[in-house]
Amino acid sequence: MLASRVIPCLLLMDGGLYKTVKFRDPRYLGDPLNAVRLFNEKLADELVIFDISKNRHGRGPDFSLLGKLASESRMPLCYGGGISSLQDIERLVSLGIEKVSLSSVAISNPKIIEQAISVFGSQSIVVTIDVKRKGWLRTYEVSAANASVDTGLCPVDFASRLEQLGVGELIINNVDMDGLMAGYDFTLVRNIYEQANIPLAVVGGAGSLDDVSRLVDEFPFIGACAGSLFVYKGKHKAVLINYPSPEQKNLVLKVRAE
Amino acid sequence: MIGVLDYGLGNVSAFVNLYRRSGIPVQVITKPEQITKASKLILPGVGAFDTAMTRLNQSRLRDSLEKAVLVRKVPILAVCVGMQILSERSEEGVLEGLGWIEGSVAKLSSCDNPKAKYRIPHLGWNSIKIVRASPVFTELNSARFYFLHSYEFMARRSEDVLALTKYTTEFASVVRRSNILGVQFHPEKSHIHGVKLLENFWLEDF
Amino acid sequence: MVKKFKVCVRCVMDTTDSKIRFDERGICDHCLTFEKDILPRWNYGLGKEHYLSELRDKIKITGKRKEFDCIIGMSGGIDSSYLVYIAKEKLGLRPLVFHVDAGWNSPEAVSNIEAMVDKLDLDLHTEVIDWKEMRDLQLAYFKAGVSNIDTPQDHAFFATMYKFAAKYGIRYILTGGNYSTECIRNPIEWMYYQSDSSQLKDIHKKFGSIPLKNFPLCSILWHKVWLPYVRQIKVVRPLDLMPYIQKEAIESLSTEFGWQPYRQKHFESRFTKFYEGHWLPTKFGFDTRKVQLSSLILTAQMKRHEALNILEKPPLSSKEIEIESNYVASKLGIERVVLDEFLNSPNKTRHDYRSQEFIYDWGASVLRGFGLELGGKR
Repeated sequence: MLASRVIPCLLLMDGGLYKTVKFRDPRYLGDPLNAVRLFNEKLADELVIFDISKNRHGRGPDFSLLGKLASESRMPLCYGGGISSLQDIERLVSLGIEKVSLSSVAISNPKIIEQAISVFGSQSIVVTIDVKRKGWLRTYEVSAANASVDTGLCPVDFASRLEQLGVGELIINNVDMDGLMAGYDFTLVRNIYEQANIPLAVVGGAGSLDDVSRLVDEFPFIGACAGSLFVYKGKHKAVLINYPSPEQKNLVLKVRAE
Repeated sequence: MIGVLDYGLGNVSAFVNLYRRSGIPVQVITKPEQITKASKLILPGVGAFDTAMTRLNQSRLRDSLEKAVLVRKVPILAVCVGMQILSERSEEGVLEGLGWIEGSVAKLSSCDNPKAKYRIPHLGWNSIKIVRASPVFTELNSARFYFLHSYEFMARRSEDVLALTKYTTEFASVVRRSNILGVQFHPEKSHIHGVKLLENFWLEDF
Repeated sequence: MVKKFKVCVRCVMDTTDSKIRFDERGICDHCLTFEKDILPRWNYGLGKEHYLSELRDKIKITGKRKEFDCIIGMSGGIDSSYLVYIAKEKLGLRPLVFHVDAGWNSPEAVSNIEAMVDKLDLDLHTEVIDWKEMRDLQLAYFKAGVSNIDTPQDHAFFATMYKFAAKYGIRYILTGGNYSTECIRNPIEWMYYQSDSSQLKDIHKKFGSIPLKNFPLCSILWHKVWLPYVRQIKVVRPLDLMPYIQKEAIESLSTEFGWQPYRQKHFESRFTKFYEGHWLPTKFGFDTRKVQLSSLILTAQMKRHEALNILEKPPLSSKEIEIESNYVASKLGIERVVLDEFLNSPNKTRHDYRSQEFIYDWGASVLRGFGLELGGKR
């Protein structure tokens, strides 16, 4: 039976590994190559890597670094950040990146998504939707350019549109819960899960393996992504790459075993 | 030596790295004459059916490849969309497939109700149920692999199906006709079991 | 005049240590120093319960109102892992486990740290060294052609730990250093003092390409004089105050914590594995296993013939050398052929660069004079 996925989410910035809180205050975690290698040794289900460098515009992804990271990993990689053309996507795929994530460009230029799907197939094209709560009603809204631009778009409507375009997977990135380790926002997840009939992954808020367990129990086959949980240890948030052993993961996922 | 076919669509480097780390001689094949040097071949594939066929035809490797596989019976392992192009045709595109294994490719059955579990594409770690023994499965009895696809291979002859995987219904996850093997999953990105399968392909006789 | 190859009849140190001296029985000066200076006072850690209790009480008292009463530097290796266990379970201390991530942690090290911290319910602090600067400094050391290219890691480890203790006013730093497995030290010729910041700065100046802005630096005077005598921050070695048998420690931690052993001491760092497994023996003929195994022989944890057996094979097989060299080159962002060029470059020594060795020599004799350091490095 298909298992839910437990996925470390890593942030790159200027070639280094970082972790944010609410998409701000990046904290240096070290060399990404060692982190990828460690997750590989720990048999992580897959990795999601986002490049949050501010000055990538026009330069595209850091292909050299990504090539090294891909060569270290025997598990699938999903990469997002600075992708603006089909050539970028092609190059990433040839380096060994299975899934390519588009974010801001999905809003500004959805034609590229259609073209990419026709060349690379739905399964290789992912869209990451950054979501923030806005206004005094705390409505969910899609955010762009690393949560620096408000779009006024409703995440559920946007997800439906992307499903119609043929996108293979959606990653819901909760800006408000990022780095807080206080649990996933089930309301947001449920709204999108029940509306868009394509595979979903969620990142933002995981603080423990129990949070992961509750998420996969509630939403079958969802991808449970986490940043802080897999790079920090203990109440002082000491940097230490960690990931559940196969036995621990079975316990976390066993509620969905069939 | 294992030859990994680089026809412009696929993560060639993933296979090369893996075989190198296992100490198995491997080479990337970009020219037809290189095919004769390989004792076994890998046909990778990431992407859509028509793109794969177009790129393969444009690469000028097809003729030498067919001679090697169909005449000299060089063992070949086709991966993901590489496996799908072994068929005659696909719902995903309009071009003809290689037709090396009789059958066609259709969209995975799904359910329109979002509250249902089975969404397309099929993506993640799933197990295979071996229905026909093969040396490629040595020490892989309860193995799990990473799948990432929206279409399935419907083999015309049931004896061409070596393993099934359940997702909504059961679909063919491993197919074989003589020296031609196809796997729907990505062994190059399936950790230990994937490495073992790729090593089995090298070590065993087909 | 080239010395004829000779091995000590008691341990396995030999003339690859160019300063080695033998007495008329063929016993080397390392063994004699152990016999004369170390053993009488260390006594295999026996009969030290009183000192250990005293130390424990002092740590508890000075740390009473603080969140932690001591820091323990933990690499994931057996000595520091065992120390963490003893400190919490046997001495009842409240340590902060301090780990320095220089970018080279092996998977076993990370698992071991996690296992110990989780199961002992300890607090962990990790200091992450700026990778770009560490990488540049390590490359500078390669270009310098000296034997001790692991200085950047070692120096960073101690500098950060001392600075952290000084910043938070933690008066006791516990290290896993011990006579039981380290009564013989690596000769200075093999591993020059990692704390000599003037040599580090000189090598960086000559061969580095980016400034050391975030890299932690400390000087010998700061950590050997200012810290202990002015700030009253003490570095202590509790494993010397008890019988410490390495094999038993490994077995006990494996059973109780799922601790995973390494092939050789210090292999918890991928870089150190390359350094001690290939760079030192291949380029310089310095095999650090001789030092480690000789210590175990002198402390009755290994028989000489067992050590000689181990030394018959190289520390890393040729296949492992390939894997490790490729990994190191890739991680440092250089071509493999460049790394091989470093290996084939002329061998340099500490004398080729600026140093404060005179301070160490002076300091060591003072400390020995006061009985504050037994044996010591030479």
